Amino acid sequence: MADTKQAQKLRAYTRILQTIVIIGFLVMFGRIFHLQILDYETYSPMSMQNSLRMEIVNPARGLILDRKGTIIVENQPIYSITITPARFNMASLPKLAEFLRIEEEIVLERILEAQSYSWHRTSRLFTEVPFEVFSTIQENIWQLPGIGHQIESKRHYPTELRASHLLGYLREASLEEYQSSDRIRLGDKIGKSGIERIYEEYLRGDVGTEYIRVNAYGQALGTYDDGSLNIEPVKGSDLITTIDAEVQQLAEKLMENKRGGLVAIDPQTGGILALVSSPQYDLTKLAGRMDASYWRDLNTSPDRPLFNRAVSNRQPPGSTFKPFMGLVGLHMDLITPQTQIYNPGYYFRGRRYGDLADPGNYNLERAISRSSNTYFFWMMDRIATRGHLNTWSRLIKDFGMGPLNNIDLPSERSGIIPDSTYMNRTFGERRWAIGDLMSLGVGQGMVSVSPLQMAVAVSSIANGGYRIQPHIVSAVREPHGEIRYTNPVLERIEWIREDHLDVVKKGMEGALVEGGARFYGNIPDIQVAGKTGTAQNPHGENHGWFIAYAPADDPQIAIAVLTENSGFGSISATPIASLVMEQYLTGEINRQHVYDYVLNFQPRIRTLEVVESD
Amino acid sequence: MLKVIDRKDFSWSVVFIWVALTGIGLVAIYSATLGEVSQFLPAHIQGNFSRQILWISISLVALIAIQFTSPRTFQGGAYILYAICIILAIITVFVGIEVGGGRRWLSIFGFRLQVSEFLKLATVLAVANYLTHKRNMSVGNFKTALTTVMMILIPVAIIVMQNDTGTALVLLALIPVVLFWSGLPYGISLLIISPALIGYFSVIDILFGVIAALLITIAIFFLQKTKWLTVSSVLLGLVVVVGTEVALEQILQPHQRARVEAFVNPTLDPQGSGWNVLQAKTAIGSGGLYGKGFLEGTQTQLRFLPEQWTDFIYCVIGEEFGFVGSSLVLLLYAGLFLRLLHMAGNHKHPFAQLVIVGVTFLYFAHFIINVGSATAVLPIMGVPLPFVSYGGSAFLANSLMLAICLNLYLNRRSFSIYR
Repeated sequence: MADTKQAQKLRAYTRILQTIVIIGFLVMFGRIFHLQILDYETYSPMSMQNSLRMEIVNPARGLILDRKGTIIVENQPIYSITITPARFNMASLPKLAEFLRIEEEIVLERILEAQSYSWHRTSRLFTEVPFEVFSTIQENIWQLPGIGHQIESKRHYPTELRASHLLGYLREASLEEYQSSDRIRLGDKIGKSGIERIYEEYLRGDVGTEYIRVNAYGQALGTYDDGSLNIEPVKGSDLITTIDAEVQQLAEKLMENKRGGLVAIDPQTGGILALVSSPQYDLTKLAGRMDASYWRDLNTSPDRPLFNRAVSNRQPPGSTFKPFMGLVGLHMDLITPQTQIYNPGYYFRGRRYGDLADPGNYNLERAISRSSNTYFFWMMDRIATRGHLNTWSRLIKDFGMGPLNNIDLPSERSGIIPDSTYMNRTFGERRWAIGDLMSLGVGQGMVSVSPLQMAVAVSSIANGGYRIQPHIVSAVREPHGEIRYTNPVLERIEWIREDHLDVVKKGMEGALVEGGARFYGNIPDIQVAGKTGTAQNPHGENHGWFIAYAPADDPQIAIAVLTENSGFGSISATPIASLVMEQYLTGEINRQHVYDYVLNFQPRIRTLEVVESD
Repeated sequence: MLKVIDRKDFSWSVVFIWVALTGIGLVAIYSATLGEVSQFLPAHIQGNFSRQILWISISLVALIAIQFTSPRTFQGGAYILYAICIILAIITVFVGIEVGGGRRWLSIFGFRLQVSEFLKLATVLAVANYLTHKRNMSVGNFKTALTTVMMILIPVAIIVMQNDTGTALVLLALIPVVLFWSGLPYGISLLIISPALIGYFSVIDILFGVIAALLITIAIFFLQKTKWLTVSSVLLGLVVVVGTEVALEQILQPHQRARVEAFVNPTLDPQGSGWNVLQAKTAIGSGGLYGKGFLEGTQTQLRFLPEQWTDFIYCVIGEEFGFVGSSLVLLLYAGLFLRLLHMAGNHKHPFAQLVIVGVTFLYFAHFIINVGSATAVLPIMGVPLPFVSYGGSAFLANSLMLAICLNLYLNRRSFSIYR
């Protein structure tokens, strides 16, 4: 009986232990059922995410070409090594230093710097490392936890052009820019000035995505599923500009060590051939890893190199204003081509307005070529007296002086061509009189323009009375090769008459024969038409102007040059303009002495306040 | 002496399960060390697969050889083996090969032996032998129970010194099982295991801990109907719940606490302590019904799993063979355990019963802790899965234990107390 009881007990024990085993089994079974069947939808994507890394593939930014197809802006890859300090193991420091070919202490210093910035955020350890270093690190990245690598690109300028104000630089997008566009990611570099900024949308392209298999160390193991999920980046469009690289380069060279602006333009189309603001800055120093001290210098320099003097400067045009005064006077019937005005050496209206031209009788042609002030004071007197200031202002603005010309550059500024509203605002209602308007007739006083505006204005004379639309980009070449042309309009200025133009043109041609431009303005075998000017500067040395076009009978280039604080335009701006035109028209420079003269030009320091005229 | 060996008493089903688990283990070890992942592994890990085959061969020879020995050998040699293993284990603590912060391996004739694995076997035999002579345990035989506990606690302490908490926990599980089988009243048995249960639930949530303590107390009351036992259950429950909280806040080392926190809430710090838990769950969960296929598991092949050839091998199976594969493994184990317990229940000799029950629950503890860790039911404790995980000593020791169980059952008619 005891035996049976023992057996029963044994059976009970066995049952209890078997029950425990079954419970254990059921718990685990339930658990895997839960994980693998019920939660499969949760964990499957998690394992995908784990082993796949979506990488943004940045598109190549569009190239910028000159009018002959020379590449003036391209891209260059830069290789960077990154670090996430929290994941970095100091034991691998020697190995890292060895791969980087940099001394351990220096690497350590950079790591500590990165640590002090953030333990968990990825920062660049070394940028612009050589490709061999980059690829060694890439291969051995699994031995270097916390170390990463990335390829970025920077703008590269293969020619000797600087064209800093024309092309512009890139910088990291600001928070607002990032928030306002869904195409910009934080840390992206976007165009901040020049055509890089205006055509940002075209140059930028579309980012692609690449799915890469990664292991637990973050080591990339190639594309996922042969790249079936990848989206190729779309390259940015190329910009074909109207710039002539050779002319631009010469213009930059000639403007070196001077302050001012130069705009050379094709008067028939409005395409900018060269645009220089001097002093320039070095775009290469702002590409890629930015030279911080250089950037600081640019922003604090008294020369304001970031200021675009070619399109934003406001200076009185001086005597270069006279041809336009002539056309306006003819149209307003104040004068005829035959009208003769006697110049006794001054014009009197309440006071004497000086005139340095030889005394004698002047018709319009002679007044322009010899730059007599009296003729134009006389005309301005009539305009002011008869209350035609607003008509005058409107007609002058038709040339492109005053209003914006909507060139494809940022920071273009309008000039000032006063009308009664402006005068009222400046002086107060009826607080201004004829005396305040007289000097406008010779391009002094309140009238102020930029070199761009003068280039646009002189183009109207050169092309027979058409208002051009100045532009730098003539076409956008899309990634698949399709070229889309920009559509600059050419607008006839209705009131300009051919016979009136002829008179003014003759006067401008004469300026190269008997006027101030005759010393440095003439190009061998090519007839040039131009006008010098000197803008009075109450704050210091006067500014020199020259506007011109050539050849006179078939204008292919129009130009406006402003050299600040360098005295007479005839000796400062004229030689620069004429060399630029010579280069464009003949492809070379034959007047070495003029070239040397410009390079060595030192603005004279004048002690005497000389009244306008040259 | 009449020797009756019935060939029918050789449990082929156990051998079949042994073969099946070993085979699954080999497939999983191959995938975990020689798949695409091998390029990210050091060379010695890549040798694991062939080493495991060597150990399996040795184990197979041992398993067959043991069938031809007398069951009395085990009983007679139990204490000697126990003593030798204890000494070797102590030596290991001082001169063992240090790997990952613990000295667990002893180098003998070029073989690296993990003495603690054999210590488990020795402890089972020794305890079984001791209890065989002290039958009919009751509350009155407090001294016997205490001696038994001490016999188990000594190796546990040594293994803890080897910094192998997982194995120590496994061995600890032996205490309630052998005491229970030897006649410890149900209520007291339940009382003994109650701290583990209450502690587990307290870690998850203090409320769960309190509920567990309450339920266990009620169960004990109905089982035993003794006042002092019920009172002590209440007190013990209270101590465990409070103790767990204090341990979590005060006593545990930061890394241990992090591990426990990661278990309770792995998403709290997915890059830190929760990483392993999350990766293990992700591996198993993403396996789905049929798995990603042999050598196709991304978690496995891209090195997202830690120790995937030993402690996390269940994740490899779960990921590459899915619910089908992982539940097959569970079924094989359940079958093995039930069969072994059946063998114990049908044996007449208490030594054999105790050995088989002890061995079964050593396996069971391994199984629960390993699969529990991999599926995030338990905090991560590094314990291998018997017969499946890589590990020569463990495989040999586990196979020896199985061989002894087979032998004992094979000889169940001759091996009797009435000889």
